Amino acid sequence: MRYGAGMQAELDRWFTDEILIHEDALLRYLHRSWRHRDEIHDLRQELYVRVYEAAGKAFPTQPKAFLFASARHLMADRIRRNRVVSIEPMGDFEPSHVLVDEVSPERWCGGRQALSRLGDAFDQLPDRCREVVWLRRVEDLSQKEVAVRLGISEKTVEKHIAKGMRLLADALYGSDDAARPVRSARKQVDDEQQQAD
Amino acid sequence: MSSNRPTELPFGRSLDIEHTASLLLARRDGDAWTDADAVALDAWLEADTAHRVAFLRLQSAWSESNRLQALGAGLRGDGPPPRGSWHASPFTETRAASVAANNTAVLAAPKRFRIAGLAVVAACILLAGWGWRAYQHVDAASYQTAMGEIRTLPLADGSRTTLASDSAVEIRLSRGERDVALLRGEAIFKVAKDPGRPFVVSTNGRRVIAVGTRFSVRRDGEDLRVVVTEGTVRLESGPEAGNSGPSTLLPAGSVALVHGGDVLVRSLALADVERMLDWRNGLLAFRDTPLVEATAEFNRYNTRKLAVGDAEAGALRIGGSFRWDNEEGFVRLLEQGFPVRAEYAQDQIVLHSR
Repeated sequence: MRYGAGMQAELDRWFTDEILIHEDALLRYLHRSWRHRDEIHDLRQELYVRVYEAAGKAFPTQPKAFLFASARHLMADRIRRNRVVSIEPMGDFEPSHVLVDEVSPERWCGGRQALSRLGDAFDQLPDRCREVVWLRRVEDLSQKEVAVRLGISEKTVEKHIAKGMRLLADALYGSDDAARPVRSARKQVDDEQQQAD
Repeated sequence: MSSNRPTELPFGRSLDIEHTASLLLARRDGDAWTDADAVALDAWLEADTAHRVAFLRLQSAWSESNRLQALGAGLRGDGPPPRGSWHASPFTETRAASVAANNTAVLAAPKRFRIAGLAVVAACILLAGWGWRAYQHVDAASYQTAMGEIRTLPLADGSRTTLASDSAVEIRLSRGERDVALLRGEAIFKVAKDPGRPFVVSTNGRRVIAVGTRFSVRRDGEDLRVVVTEGTVRLESGPEAGNSGPSTLLPAGSVALVHGGDVLVRSLALADVERMLDWRNGLLAFRDTPLVEATAEFNRYNTRKLAVGDAEAGALRIGGSFRWDNEEGFVRLLEQGFPVRAEYAQDQIVLHSR
């Protein structure tokens, strides 16, 4: 789909500010509702496409609620198409959960959390990748200078940067592993039930 | 939301797209990026929204990683620090890399940083210069919401603010202060901790001061309401009010109502206080609330106003949670459950007792 340059920039900014910041909560929701773990990356991507394209027509007034509603529709669509999938995952996203996650606490600690996460995310990078990202990002060397400093090719530097971006994005926005504290997931469910009452 | 093309991606395709997006971004970040590359990138982004969203996500994470500079202030020039050193450093809590904090980092850093001699001194001088420029920097912005709009904004210091319907704020972040002027309406603030830089919301001659906490401030003409859901804030008269009246400390669970020179503070259970901020979830919560007050709440969010026709109707007490965007649903419920009759006019709904 084509938009004017101004509209495109606005859409991009909207998507980053209003949608991406909920990725963490979204992934937890997808993990709870969808049992095929290996499909979650695709599911998330497809969901972002739907949300982005819908916003191109009209910005939703409540982006987060819209994101989660779209997630429910997407999962329902997939189940309808995929007869093989058992009915089981339906349990978690029926209409009584319409307000799911509107109460998510991340909304409130997003900024600070993201910051301390950044340190953690950076520390989880593989050695060489970590070194490259540090030199490029903190010491502000160009990719060429990083290559000279470490005695590796520019192509390799580029690959490390690409990898660093992917790993940092997963760590910052919410990773695909479900290694979230059980307690907070539990609390989330309680909150939803309160909301649904 | 529906799309003509098949909505389901082939299995695993999203990983490929993400991979390509990261390579393109990394190349653009490099030294050999040409105009032709830029054109090719645009074409790739145009080709499929799936490309674009993957690209935006990585791009945003990469620009976020720029904050490593703040986390790593004072440690520059010697490659990455050992893993886990963030937790020992003050920067995980306060990313504001003040000059003083830089010094702390140098002291707290491993020995080799201390004995690196001239290099460190030179780096410190450079940093001091950089820090001074950063110190002087002021981030200013103003935001407003239309009737019926709610908007959450990330601020540059890591705090967040949520603006209620028909509200406006002006935000100025500098190295020494974080100042927010609430011009009208209501806003919730989730303040990132930064002891060196108090977060001050001023409105109508009053100042609400916090370090790291969550609270909301609401302005109704001359009146003010402060709701604290986490931490402690201080409420004081601003210098422009002339008198420096006593300041009031408000712990979590407080609701302070300011009317003229009077301040009334109530302490409530946290759950009740949270309910007062339910509007951010699209809900208005009432408990034993006179109808006249409830309609005033609805009117903050809707252009079609609810009016109370007589005192008797206005005094009815109601409770429950209602979506603020479903004014008519609220009115229908009232008609069913209460001795109320609604009269629909073009731009308002008048509620009469019957």
